[in-house]
Amino acid sequence: MNRSDATRQVLWNIEHVWVMYALLVPTTLIAAYGVYRRVRQWRKGQSENRFDRPVERLRLVVAYALLQLRTWRRAYPGVFHAMLFWGFVILFIATCVVLIDYDFGIPIMRGEFYLIFQSLIVDIFGVLAIVGVLMAAARRFITRPKYLVYTTESAVILLLVFAILVTGFLVEGWRIAATDDPWGAWSPFGNLVANASRPLMTVEAMTSAHWATWWFHLFLVFGFLAWAPYTKMLHVLASTANIYTARLAPIGATLRKVDFDSEEALGIHTLAGFTWKDLLDFDACTECGRCTAVCPANRVDKLLSPRDIILDLQRLARDPVGDFAEPFLGKTDALSAEAFWECTTCAACVEACPVSIEQFPKIVDARRYLVMEEAEFPDTMQQALTSLETRGHPMRGTSFSRVDWMQGLDVPTVADVKDADVLVWVGCGGALVERNQSVVRALVQLLKAAGVKFAVLGREEKCNGDPARRIGNEFLFEQLAQENIATLEKHKVKTIVTSCPHCFNTFANEYPQFGGRFEVFHHSQYLAKLVDEGKLAGKSPLGQRVTFHDPCYLGRHNGEYDAPRQLVQISTKNAPVEMQQTRSNSFCCGGGGGMSFVDEPPDKRVNQERARQVLETVADVVAVGCPFCMTMLEDGINATKGDREVRVMDVAELLWQTVEPAPPDS
Amino acid sequence: MNLVVCIKQILDPEIPARDFRVDAAARVAERGGANLVMNIFCENALESALQCREANEGKITALSVGTDEAEDVLRKALALKVDEAILVSGGESSNPDPAFVAKTLAAAVRKIGEYDVVLVGREAGDWGAGQTGGLLAEELGVPCVSFAESIEPGGSDGTVQVKRQTDNGWELLEVATPLVVTITNHDKNVPRIPKTRDVMQSYRKPLTKWTLDELDVDPSSANDYYEVAELSIPQKETKCEFIEGDTLEDKIGAFAKRLGDVIRSI
Amino acid sequence: MSDVACYLFASSGMDRAAQGVLGAARRLADATGGKLHAIVVGPANEDVSGGAAAVADAVAVVDHPALAEYNPELYLTALADVCQKITPRAILLGNDTYSQELAARLAHRLGGSAAGDAVNVSADGDTIRVTRGVYGGKAVATIGLKRSPAVVWVRARAMEPADGAGRSAGSVESVSPELADDGRVKVVSRHVEAREGVRLEDAQLIVSGGRGLGGPEPFEKLQALADTIGAQMAASRAACDAGWVPPSWQVGQTGKKVAPELYLAIAISGASQHIMGIADAKVICAINTDADAPIFKHCTFGLVEDYDKVVGPLCEILSQSK
Repeated sequence: MNRSDATRQVLWNIEHVWVMYALLVPTTLIAAYGVYRRVRQWRKGQSENRFDRPVERLRLVVAYALLQLRTWRRAYPGVFHAMLFWGFVILFIATCVVLIDYDFGIPIMRGEFYLIFQSLIVDIFGVLAIVGVLMAAARRFITRPKYLVYTTESAVILLLVFAILVTGFLVEGWRIAATDDPWGAWSPFGNLVANASRPLMTVEAMTSAHWATWWFHLFLVFGFLAWAPYTKMLHVLASTANIYTARLAPIGATLRKVDFDSEEALGIHTLAGFTWKDLLDFDACTECGRCTAVCPANRVDKLLSPRDIILDLQRLARDPVGDFAEPFLGKTDALSAEAFWECTTCAACVEACPVSIEQFPKIVDARRYLVMEEAEFPDTMQQALTSLETRGHPMRGTSFSRVDWMQGLDVPTVADVKDADVLVWVGCGGALVERNQSVVRALVQLLKAAGVKFAVLGREEKCNGDPARRIGNEFLFEQLAQENIATLEKHKVKTIVTSCPHCFNTFANEYPQFGGRFEVFHHSQYLAKLVDEGKLAGKSPLGQRVTFHDPCYLGRHNGEYDAPRQLVQISTKNAPVEMQQTRSNSFCCGGGGGMSFVDEPPDKRVNQERARQVLETVADVVAVGCPFCMTMLEDGINATKGDREVRVMDVAELLWQTVEPAPPDS
Repeated sequence: MNLVVCIKQILDPEIPARDFRVDAAARVAERGGANLVMNIFCENALESALQCREANEGKITALSVGTDEAEDVLRKALALKVDEAILVSGGESSNPDPAFVAKTLAAAVRKIGEYDVVLVGREAGDWGAGQTGGLLAEELGVPCVSFAESIEPGGSDGTVQVKRQTDNGWELLEVATPLVVTITNHDKNVPRIPKTRDVMQSYRKPLTKWTLDELDVDPSSANDYYEVAELSIPQKETKCEFIEGDTLEDKIGAFAKRLGDVIRSI
Repeated sequence: MSDVACYLFASSGMDRAAQGVLGAARRLADATGGKLHAIVVGPANEDVSGGAAAVADAVAVVDHPALAEYNPELYLTALADVCQKITPRAILLGNDTYSQELAARLAHRLGGSAAGDAVNVSADGDTIRVTRGVYGGKAVATIGLKRSPAVVWVRARAMEPADGAGRSAGSVESVSPELADDGRVKVVSRHVEAREGVRLEDAQLIVSGGRGLGGPEPFEKLQALADTIGAQMAASRAACDAGWVPPSWQVGQTGKKVAPELYLAIAISGASQHIMGIADAKVICAINTDADAPIFKHCTFGLVEDYDKVVGPLCEILSQSK
């Protein structure tokens, strides 16, 4: 027996193999029709270009479709999904090997390759796939986590996959036993079946069992293939397509412009309003539930569930008698206005989605419709926007002007300093909310200490429009954007530093849509840069333990997690104590998306949930980098702290304390 | 019913107190960076008119006397779907007296022609004179009902039912048209906000402009009846005065007296 | 033509407001050296005509079957009729809704100038000057009324009553004007009841409670105080969150934004979100045990005491002085 001759007889016991080929035709047709139906649906969507920069897109496919880097973020499902995925990939390759060898007559299923790959490796991956199915089944039928969707379809798919894998091993085992395959040991698990069968079955019995099981296996496989595009298994194709066509810019650049010249409805309230990419999003969903599991609103038992928004829209889009022109708003709980008004636009859903679905932008689309076409939205949000419209800021009732915070600091305005290197954008949160004024004061004092030539706009500053855009008044946002861009260009501003991540995001990611291009730094980034350049040094480290709360619009929306931590490190000579949910998995303060202007029910407050997470750490201080986080967390901690004393401080305040120790009396 | 709603544009009343300045020489508030807005009671009046039109057939004409900038408030009225908007401009006084405004409005209303009810806000958030409605009724020679919270067609033809607030309750009046009502705020006439679509379209809608000349109103009579002689910002004690006293009773007594003084001064 | 007239509403009685109007009118008449005419309209009321006669030089009691109940058109006609005979230089009215309704129209009928909400009325040569708050109370204006008569409605209860010293009682004369009701304005029904539908945003007086009250029961005491002074109730977010009072009572950035003449904050610390709801209140005052509570930074006056010891007695004193 020469190992180089090693192979096996393909089909061995099976006759009338033409039946298989014949069956392949309807199988393929049915499957193809299933795919075609979806593609046809996607093509109904509005246009959108998602095919630029193909190399980057292929890179996404490798990372997220092939290596499934996001799926891995949850260990248990990550493991079993990988086992199933790679199990089937290897089994599919093995089938291709057979095809090449047998059907094309190219003898590749030979020798070492046959033994090591086609027998051993395939066997191992087959078993891994079975383990994967069992793990998935254990989650679905035993632990039953809340975030999962429980459908008969999912159960049947698992059963079918399990049956396909098991029948495969039976077929292999009985073939090995009945043919006394000399290489049987290279297929250890098939061999196990063979060894178990030998004492129990005659060769004839094994032969006929092989025959019957082979055909059964075939029917299962073909059935599964034909059915798959009609089930969530479509995700194999749709998710890959979705990942290829994913957004390449940071999450913060996701929101689209609205065409105000169009006669169509502003915002989206029917399926017809969506682009093909949105429609693809619905079909790409694997029902994994991670978006809902990480949704802060959902965590505090609100109605909002990004998963159900996507799935309900998917169901409506797939309804054979459904009408794309029919409003979806209010059709289900998930698609109700109430749910849409609970979103903080924190993007935890988008970040968590393994297949690059963009959930929260669809919520903003629906809000746009509600605000601009129906004028129906929460009262206090209306007041914030009315204030924005008439006063250029959303902080209705503030007793401060734009310049009150500067008192006693000698802060240069653009009128005084024509050639400033940096514009400090104070923001409404910084200028008009008392608590945040000390943050801006700390920032400008740090800049002075570092010798930076900066200026502020003073009374010329206006809200950049973030709340308007997130609440859904794109019309107002555009006005504000254009006004601000004109102001900034008038003063020849090139570089902006702001202590508000919302302002930061709007300048960095959204103003370019309107022709405003500026170099933008979040103050943590700019201060970290000054420290790196040796222009600022922490003199006396604070003896406090500090945790850092990632602002959504700095972290997830823009991928900056390190600069603020660096400032904590410099201020305390220690890395921050991390909360359980941190960095890209951070939990929103509850204040984004206009939510800081509405009151949540007392028992369903996102900020209190985050405050509890802060209190779980040993930290004395929770550092923030956002005026909204500041007020939301202070409020949440006051409500939940009990006897604990935890202060909320901006990273600039922390740094200013070490750079310039406060006089002993204050 | 044909409704005319008079709308005044005023300086944003929500300028923070510490940002509020007056030009003592010109005897007006400094505008600073603040915006001009629709007077809140005018918004209530407009809302009442819209509700009345929704419940019954009718036409609403929005009418404003002011500078060219007042076009903004009329655009807002158009965005809220009034049928017609008319701006009367040409006055030079920064603060024409109510008699002049009423005269101008009356001339405009007569020029509009047929009308059943003229709705006016009970007072404006800037000067707060609270006279325009009454004076307009006198100019037009029609009845006037003040502090109304809603209007609807009355039991018999040619009448209107007006529900209005009084010091100790409310009353229902039936008034023959034409008439003037001044509208106060109530939870039934909280102003709606316009839809963006309608805001956009409001800029394409026609807006009629009349001058004082066309209405035969003499601009030089803008302050024949009254004139602001002085305008100042009262010095406000910025520090809290803590009520002291030897005994608890003394303190409570002194506190009660301060409270009583404030309440009586209203 | 230096006489002053004032208008009193017979059915209101000689209340504090009527006394205030009389007092202001008396002082103005004294300053201009004219006579004071009190005009009492409505069904005969000894209290009012007698009280008016004690202050005024002459009282005209205007009565007519058509004036049995207030009707704006008829009352206006009657009043204008009497004033035309008296030809006063100034006519003062109170700040009740009916007087406010009549004032400007009366001025128009008499060819005079009107101004309202006066906290001070004075004569300056030929012009009557009126001092009043404008721009929502942020500024004070003095307005010169150029045409005679000057018809002014005043903040009646803020006006000191006339001092009773050494004045002989004025004459009381009954006047029966000719009135023809053209039936254009009919009062269908009149309801005396707590005004429903007044939004917290529009309330003149507000009593507000906070976290420091510790539970729903103390709000009953606050309610009693509010009822005494005719105020509406409000609360801080903490109190609403705790479920002690309905969420609709909440004042602050995410609640209602109020602008009362008086905001009495009891056991409210004054977080900045709460302050954003009361930025436009004219007078803020507070009762709080903590002298360092931020609310005091916004107060005109305050009392550092336990609310529990204060509210009850306060209620008593205020109900007596009513």
